[in-house]
This record gives sequence, C-alpha cells and structure tokens, in this order.
Amino acid sequence: MLTKRTFVVLLIGILALMGVMAAAAQEEVGIVHYYSSTLGQETMAQLFGTFAEANPGYVVVDNSAGHEDFKTQILVTIAGNNPPDIFSYWAGARTQFVVDADRLLPLTDFWTENNLDDIIPAGVKSAAIYNGEVYNIPMNVHVVGFFYNPKVLADAGFDTPPATWDEFMTMGQALIDNGVAPIALGSMNRWPAQYWFDYMVSYTAGADYRQQLMAGEAAYTDEEVQVAMEMWKSLVDGGFFVENANAYDWTDAADQVANGTAAMTLMGTWITGYWDGNGLVAGEDYDFFPFPVMNPDLPVITHGSIDGWAVPAGSSNPDGAKALLLHMLSPEAQATWAQGQGALAAVNNVDASIYSPVMKKASDYLGQVAFLSGYDLSTTPPMAEGGLNMFAQFMNDPSGYMDYLTQTEEVAVEVFGK
Amino acid sequence: MAKQRRIWAAIFLALPMFIYVSIVILPLISSFYYSFTDWNGFNADFNLIGFKNYEKMFSDRLFANAIGNTIIWTIAAVLLPTIGGLALALTLHGRGFFSRIYKSLFYLPISLSLVVIGQVWIWIYQPDWGLINITLEGIGRGDLTQAWLARPQYALYAVILAWTWQQTALAMVIFLAGLTSVPPELLEAAEIDGASYWQVTRRVTIPLLAPATVVVIALGVINSLKSFDVLYIMTRGGPFHSSDNLAMFMYNESFQKYNMGYGSAIAIVLFLITLVVIVVYFRLSTNLEHLYD
Repeated sequence: MLTKRTFVVLLIGILALMGVMAAAAQEEVGIVHYYSSTLGQETMAQLFGTFAEANPGYVVVDNSAGHEDFKTQILVTIAGNNPPDIFSYWAGARTQFVVDADRLLPLTDFWTENNLDDIIPAGVKSAAIYNGEVYNIPMNVHVVGFFYNPKVLADAGFDTPPATWDEFMTMGQALIDNGVAPIALGSMNRWPAQYWFDYMVSYTAGADYRQQLMAGEAAYTDEEVQVAMEMWKSLVDGGFFVENANAYDWTDAADQVANGTAAMTLMGTWITGYWDGNGLVAGEDYDFFPFPVMNPDLPVITHGSIDGWAVPAGSSNPDGAKALLLHMLSPEAQATWAQGQGALAAVNNVDASIYSPVMKKASDYLGQVAFLSGYDLSTTPPMAEGGLNMFAQFMNDPSGYMDYLTQTEEVAVEVFGK
Repeated sequence: MAKQRRIWAAIFLALPMFIYVSIVILPLISSFYYSFTDWNGFNADFNLIGFKNYEKMFSDRLFANAIGNTIIWTIAAVLLPTIGGLALALTLHGRGFFSRIYKSLFYLPISLSLVVIGQVWIWIYQPDWGLINITLEGIGRGDLTQAWLARPQYALYAVILAWTWQQTALAMVIFLAGLTSVPPELLEAAEIDGASYWQVTRRVTIPLLAPATVVVIALGVINSLKSFDVLYIMTRGGPFHSSDNLAMFMYNESFQKYNMGYGSAIAIVLFLITLVVIVVYFRLSTNLEHLYD
C-alpha cells in the first residue's frame, strides 16, 4: 500500500535521480579567463548563459583571475598538467611562448571547417597564426589612442583634437597655461607607460624599425631609440604629464581625465568600458583621437591588443571548448561582448550600430591603418620584463634614460643571445 | 615494551613523515636539482648547466640589490619589532581594564592577513588622500608629502614599516608572555633594595626576558627573510626592483622572466641563509633554557 509519506519519499528520490542523470549527461567545459572585473565577469556570465541555452549538453565551469595573477597562474596550471579546457590569452608574444613549448592545440582545422576567413578580417587573423598554425581564436580588438575630456579641451579653446604633432604640442602648452595637466598616466603596473614608448619609436623611427627592436634585431642603445626617448623626455620635462605617474594605476588616470584634473590619457579602448560603467556618456563626457602623426613620411599605424582564446594541448574536453569558441564568435555574442566590455568585435558581421560614437571612431581608424600589438605582447616575456621596468624607471626620473637603455640592452643581449 | 612503543611511534609518525617528505623535502631536492639547469619553468626540455646559475649571481646587479634590501629588512626586523614590542609589553603589562583593552587593540594586526595589511597601508600611503600625506598637509608640512610607494628611495622602507606594524604586535604578545614568567620575588627584592622602576626594568626585567627576546628576534629575522605577501601586494618589488628582497626577486626571475633554473638557485641561497639563522636560534635558546634555574 502506497502511503502518502512513501509517495513523497519516492518522488523526491526520482527527482534527485533525474537531477543526477541530467548533470551526468552534461559535460563540463572548464574555462579560465582574465576578465575578473565586475563588468567583465557579468558579461562573460551572460555569454556562458546563452551558450548553455543553445548547448544543453555542456556546462561551463567559470574561473577568473586579475591580469597580473593570471599571467603566472595559467602557465603554472598548464606546466603542472592541470590545464583548463580553454583560456583567454593575449595574442602575440605570450601566445608564441606557449606554442613554442608545444602546450597548445592547433585550431587550424577548426578555422577552416567553420570558414572563419569569411568573418575575421585578415589583419586580425595574422594575430591568430603561430609557426604556420592557428592557435589563438580572436575575441576582440582594442585600439590604443588618446581618450580625452572634451570639456577640458574646450575650456582651453580647442573644439577639435590635434591631428599633427605640432598641433598636439600647441594644445598641450595651452592646457598647461590653463592650469590643467595635459596627460594622465597611471604606470603603477608599468604596462600603461609602454604605449608611449611604442608610439614614440613607431612614429619617429618607423614601424619596421620597431618590429626589429621587438625581435632583438636592433639595439635599445641605437640612435633611433635615443631620439624617441629624448622626445618623450621633453614632454615630461615640459610638464605634460600628471606628477607621480608610478603612484597610480590606469583607472586612476582615467578618473583624472573624467574629473578634469587631466585632459587626456593614452590608453586602449577598454577605458570606454570603465567609463561607461561609471555612467559617463561617450561623445559627451569623453572622446577619442588617434596618436598624432609625428613624421608624415612614416606609415600611420595603430598600436593595440587582441584578446583571444587558446585551447591547451592537455584539454580534457576540446570538443566542448570548440563549441564554446563557435558560440563566442557568433554575431550576437560578439555584440554583447563588444558593448559590455568596451571592445571592438573580432568579427566583421557585427552591426556597426552597436558601437558608441567613440567606439565607432576607433573602429573606423582601425579599418584604415595597420595594426601592431603593444610592447609586452610584441616581444618575449623576459624581454618585456626588462622593458617595462625601464618605462617605470623613466617615468620616475627621465634624465637617466641613457643608463636605462644600456641596462635594457644588457637584458636584450641575454634574452636574444645576441 | 620499549620495542612495542617504538613500533607505535613509527606507525603514528608515518603519515606526518609522508606529508613532510612529499611537500617539504622532495620539492627542496627538486629545487636543488633545477638550480643546476636552464629550465624556463614551462618547456618540457632543459639542459644541465653546472654552476652557471650560481656564477651569474655574482655579476647580477639585481641580485646584489635584492641581497642589500634583504639585509636592510633583516636589520629592521631585529630592531623595530623588538624595541616596539618590548615598550608596548612593559607599558601594558598588568591586569587593569584599560591595559586589557589596549592589549587587544595592539594585538589586532596579528589577526589580519598580510594581504589585508598591505592593502590598508597602500591606502595610508596613497599620495592624494592617504592618511600620511593628509596629516602632513594638516600640520602645514605639505612640502614633505611623497608618493611613498612609487619612489624608489622610499618604497622599501614603506613596506618594511607596514610589515613591522604586524610584527610588533607579535613581539608584544611574546614579551607579555615572557613577563609573566619573571619571578615577582626578584622584582620585589630589587624594589626593597631601593631600585627605581627604570633600574628594575634595565637590570632585572630585561635580562630575564632574554629567552623571549631570542624568540622575538629569531621570528623577526625568519619572517623577514620569507616575507613576500606584503611586498607582492604593495609593490611587487617595484618600482623597478627598488624594493625587491630575495624572495620577491626569486619570484620575479622564476615566474615573470621564466628563469626557473636561476630562480631555484636563488631559492637555495635563501634557504641556506635561513638555515644559518635557525641553527643560531636553536643554539641560543638551548643555552638560555637554564636561565631560571
């Protein structure tokens, strides 16, 4: 005789069993990424949610760490044969380092099978290929340029941003005369200073020379680098930078621009995500202009970074990782991510109307010029350590730059075995 | 009977020994091995390169810098927590209501993780609204304000001060415990003989606190040698290596520059230095065991 109590117990048992079976039928896709800010985590969670709806067979196990911790953590887990199924990674020298250790799964077949050539522009694709194979599937592109406070510029009498270096210098001096520091820089974690070095070298010695320097084929003590450093120094000496750059991080610098203490900051498009999250309005409270051309005879470029996804060679669920990758490349996911993160989509089939007027400018600029990764993604990680220290040293006291260059070249000799 | 006890001892010791060997001894041996290689910590292949990593230390200015900073930190670790902890313990020794409240307040830093302490002190040192600069401006000495953690000449000392804040609390607790074992008859006898408070403290109390002092100094030195967390949070050894100690330098070489072989060699040197300190400590504490006899 089935009593009411037995019935309830049975029902609970059956439901529990169904739950266990459903969980067993779902395969886990372990992901580790560096989008650890509230904004990044929320947007990622949103994408994992839509992935789970479309792929009920998979469940994403989400892990994240801040950029600096991530750099160490991911390599330790991979070297310890305990890798995630998929992880976010910067395209460029960092991916190359893992590829050279044979620790990544080639994704060339995945690229061809899904005709990714049709949706990923050639410039972005070049960042996916290492030693002839695809290893990094791009998620978004960031452009580095000047993000400024239009009200501060207007107060100093400028309605349009500068296009040439002379105009830039004139505007900077006018801002100083108006009692505002032209440039905010938060180099506490060193990397924000690298874009100054990147543009100074690329725009005085040329992008080709810079690539040689990154590859260890030119020397940090070369006259070309000295000229770039001297140019940068003249800005610091001229009072263009907010004091104590090394005491602030990039969000502090963003705050200084937002509250009008400084006029602009040289930063990547991710700053728009930070500002939007703080309630600033694109085009009104902040705007964008590319780094002004210093020598019209040299090619115009943009520095920036490409974030992508890599699948470890030891991934226990590569199929799940690939399913997630496909989802990430869908126009819907790309639009959600680009809007949520303040990034440019890696694919070309996203409707441009999703971009704010500021991101539209950055996107248009990216479409016109060649793309070069920033310093720490262009040269090997041990070399980048040496260079990043030099930039922080420079911001502390630019007068000793010749010594810093000599020390950095010593690192280069060791790293590149010159 | 004795044999049976030994068997039981072996059985009970087996598990702790297994854990100790697998998480302390084996990694130590493997570090020693890697210190003779050029392993980058990531690739599967590497070469044995003999003593090259150890030779490199002698010409590496960053290693010399880290050694110098470690020595500065060790000297600070001997002096600051010892003097501060002793002063606090002597002041707060007793059973009064306020004494108990103050003891708890000064004890508080111990209950905080060094990560939290690092973050709190980052705020204290913040150049625009940090406690130190605000105070300096408040007393009309705005000219003394600094970006404390961003300037190479101050960063190391700024971190040591934050670390000392916690270490002093630990020293105070050890001295307070030491004070309870000072025989009250001795203090009374000294008082009856007409000794002033200062004389009693200097001639009776402090000498009798020798065992506690040895513990405080040894713990301070050992903690300073292995201090990493507070440095990692506050400066990561920066700006540009100015606050690197050996532990931080080892981490940067191993995990930022991917010189795991060199990093292992630095770890071995750090281990040997710590070993010397520990041996000296055990010698001293054994000698002091008979102080109260």
